[in-house]
Amino acid sequence: MAEKYAVIGKSVPKIDGRVKVTGQAKYTGDLKFPNMLVGKILTSPYAHAKILNIDTAEAEKLPGVKAIITHKDVPTLKYGISPARWDESIFCSDKVRFVGDKVAAVAALDEETVYKALKLIKVDYEVLPAVFDPEEAIKEGAPQIHDEYPRNINTEIHQNFGDVEKAFKEAYHVRTDRFEGNRTYQCPIEPHSAISIWEGNKLTVYSSTQSPHYFQYYIAREFGLPMGDVRVIKTFVGGGFGGKLEPTGLEFAGAALSKLTGRPVKMFYDRHEMFAHNRGRHKQIMEITTGVDKNGKLLGVYANFMMDGGAYTSLGIATAYYAGAMLPLTYEFDNFKFDMIRAYTNLPACGAQRGHGAPQPRYAFECHLDNVATDLGMDPIQLRLVNARQPNTVTPNDFAVNSCELTECIEKAKEVSGWAEKKGQMGKGRGIGIGVGSFVSGAGYPIYRTNLPHASAIIKVHEDGTAATLYTMATDIGQGSDTVLCQMAAEAMGFKYENMKIVSADTETTPHDFGAYASRQTLMSGSAVKQAGEEVKKQLLEMAAQMMEVAPGDLDCRDSIVFSLSDPEKTKPFGEVAREFFVRQGPLVGKGSYAPPKLGGTFKGAAVGTSPAYSFAAQISEVEIDEETGEIDVKEVWDIHDCGQVINPSLLHAQVHGALFMGMGESIWEQVLFDDQGRILNPNLGEYRLPTAMDMPKITSELVESYEPAGPWGVKEVGEGATIPTMGCYANAIYDAMGIRVNSLPLSYEKVWRALKEKRESEAK
Amino acid sequence: MYLPDFEYHMPASIQEACALLAKSGPAAQVLAGGTDLLNKMKHGLVAPQILISLKQLEQLSGIEYVAGKGVVIGARVTHNAICNAKLLQDKYLSVCEAAHHMANNQIRNVGTIGGNIANAVPSADLPPILIALGASITLAGANGEREMALEDFFTGPGKTKIAPDEIITQIIIPDGSFTGSTYIKFGLRRSGALAVVGVAVAVEMDGNVCKKARIALGAVAPVPMRATQAEAAITGQTVSDDLLEAVGVCAAKECKPISDMRGSAEYRRDMVRVFTKRALRKAIDEGHV
Repeated sequence: MAEKYAVIGKSVPKIDGRVKVTGQAKYTGDLKFPNMLVGKILTSPYAHAKILNIDTAEAEKLPGVKAIITHKDVPTLKYGISPARWDESIFCSDKVRFVGDKVAAVAALDEETVYKALKLIKVDYEVLPAVFDPEEAIKEGAPQIHDEYPRNINTEIHQNFGDVEKAFKEAYHVRTDRFEGNRTYQCPIEPHSAISIWEGNKLTVYSSTQSPHYFQYYIAREFGLPMGDVRVIKTFVGGGFGGKLEPTGLEFAGAALSKLTGRPVKMFYDRHEMFAHNRGRHKQIMEITTGVDKNGKLLGVYANFMMDGGAYTSLGIATAYYAGAMLPLTYEFDNFKFDMIRAYTNLPACGAQRGHGAPQPRYAFECHLDNVATDLGMDPIQLRLVNARQPNTVTPNDFAVNSCELTECIEKAKEVSGWAEKKGQMGKGRGIGIGVGSFVSGAGYPIYRTNLPHASAIIKVHEDGTAATLYTMATDIGQGSDTVLCQMAAEAMGFKYENMKIVSADTETTPHDFGAYASRQTLMSGSAVKQAGEEVKKQLLEMAAQMMEVAPGDLDCRDSIVFSLSDPEKTKPFGEVAREFFVRQGPLVGKGSYAPPKLGGTFKGAAVGTSPAYSFAAQISEVEIDEETGEIDVKEVWDIHDCGQVINPSLLHAQVHGALFMGMGESIWEQVLFDDQGRILNPNLGEYRLPTAMDMPKITSELVESYEPAGPWGVKEVGEGATIPTMGCYANAIYDAMGIRVNSLPLSYEKVWRALKEKRESEAK
Repeated sequence: MYLPDFEYHMPASIQEACALLAKSGPAAQVLAGGTDLLNKMKHGLVAPQILISLKQLEQLSGIEYVAGKGVVIGARVTHNAICNAKLLQDKYLSVCEAAHHMANNQIRNVGTIGGNIANAVPSADLPPILIALGASITLAGANGEREMALEDFFTGPGKTKIAPDEIITQIIIPDGSFTGSTYIKFGLRRSGALAVVGVAVAVEMDGNVCKKARIALGAVAPVPMRATQAEAAITGQTVSDDLLEAVGVCAAKECKPISDMRGSAEYRRDMVRVFTKRALRKAIDEGHV
């Protein structure tokens, strides 16, 4: 019996692997156009200041400078990615709100001239008092960052499900812990860049983007253009991780400069400017109270959080809601209260980073749960098994969960890591810890209100039948969606993967899709692709039936061979049938689209966290701590995932490795640091320490059997889910090793050293 | 970021290089590997009008043993060339290891020992081990050569006793009686991290008695510093774990760390204790490693 599937479930080579490793792949920064100018944005040196005057006269005199623009030369319409708070301008007009805020832009013949011109622009500022701490920012009398938002409160959330107070009263044990997160940055290897070409009434933008659609929508809105006159083309992208989902400012400034000069304009950020533009992880301050019964069953949870949003909203409203919304997804409890304030500060704006608002609260909750387990004298895994989410359940905040194999994930992680022999028995300096998590497989609602489907696809079979091209605006930013979607198309058509071509992420040639965020494409874009492929196959088999003189229902197609179900010896090549179809009926085309069902409740913020399906994971890590230096050596990590059915195992495990890399960096090393004037101290890859290959532990990534009815062929997400449990899993391993609890991220060597020192000193008393 | 305009010279001899330096004064800078200088120029931190490249001075790129003198390393030798030099691996593997743990492979391919010394960054990795081994440097100037103990060369962060017309030409590790030496770099990740603390030691053991010791610390003072009190505490003593702990405490007391984003002064001081102890144990037990 042949395997069930011909193409999916196999680690086929990445469709763009060859061009990437040979350097043929062109990223936006590699592209050149005739007469192209180079542009850059002048940013503020102050964290908070009034702009008194901008003098560009000297800069304009510099030979090679072609245009200089300020707020006077561009639309003043405020923008943002969240329609609820459009609070950014192309250039600041009245005041600047962080070191790096956008003030003016220059276009010149070459890069050197641009940098020189930036230095010649004179801006007079009146420096204002600034605030960098969210807890200070919301106090009466703190510097006011946006006039429209008193006490610098950007977002305030108060959600209450069930009766937490009653649950705490009835609980056997109630415990409160407080944790602090860190500001981290996505650090994609490829810097942001955009090339804008304004010709006549049409604007074309080549961009390093996670979503051509949102870029097109916001660029068109800003300049008052019909969306049809704005073409956004994604080139190859060297990583996004959430930071390239929203327009970067480069597109707006570049478009204005291109319109003014009549020439293509390439804009880019250098590494320092990337850190200043930011949109990385929010720092959250998290107080969690939990009540449990004697057996460790969670009765109620109260999450009282605050987050440092930086100077603008970015995706922060959703981040704030995600922070709480994901908590009752992983474990089952009925009573849940969530309070959150997202405060403006005079620091770079934070946004969505892999896992969005969920990883830090998950770190806090997983540490907190281990503390509860210690209080109860329970094994931490037992406590998690008692509370693990089960399939076909609904969370208190109205998320419907279909497939869920969390219990199996935890049990398998326990088994493969050797937990039973290791926990509490590894000797001095060695420890093992667990963290679990869950995440959405695509957001149930788009970022702005629209009834467009979430994903669509067209497949065109070439006239001679030797190839088929998939057209979709789904966005490959390195994760491999082009590959996975071609596998799905080939499977649905009964075609060979090797003969698939793809045109993706171009608003003019490909049909609508919202892009790469919220781990949505395998499920959502995949659904549209499957439908398109099946439509091709249906037409092909009808043609084949005529040619082979059998009933269409007796035919199927696999690996580019049409065959009779009743007489498998009777075959015709896919190509021959497809060619005949073209001759008789014209182009053989299939199309598909996907919209999720209506999801979620009706309370304020109910949409955030809804998804057609949820992934689940358990991670266990083993660490060794140097008790004299606090150095953390992560020896080994086990990730067991429930991500439904798998399209490409090697890409899937690569996602887990990448997520563990990122989670490990955020856990132990990464933190954007500022001086007392709000200037970034470490905006470079030397001092902002991402892990290196030499720091990575041994990784075991395994799956559990799972099938998601809402996904094509039963798929769910993996890309973000694997980041979520990591921080808590390391913190818990450190606790197991040394009996100390570091309650803030990153879990730096010095913090561990200090905690060990304090423990020794208190024991000596 | 762009490299500003500058005049570029590639003298064919040391004399010519020094004469050019003498003529150009402070407007000139010496270009060896360029890993630090060109980066600073791109960031607008320095703007020399003249760069004098040592690229043609092949005589500065060798590593050899000179009888009566010791191991002589040309100033233009790259960190990776140090890692891979058989002569050094056989005699002072500790120097190879120090070079190997510096920065990352790309930098090690280009950066030079002379540049690492002349740059005078307090956290530099090569000076502590070279000082521990009693190394000296040769400075060539317009009016001839002079030799100087490396430990006397540094005067502050980025500051040295080099005269405006001088270049470092060689580093000499003298023949000595040390039985072991090592450098331990404590950075906050395994590659591409500056030292939070660097401890180098060289010891001469006679059985279990330490006859002589030199201890040099990096990243805990404005210049790489000798821990002389710690050296005194171990000299002539029979080695034990308690003794090494006491020597570590001594070194911790005499270092002068500051707090910065990589670590607090308090943390650095304690790490000096820990790594002095560990470095001594390693050099005593394992030789030149």
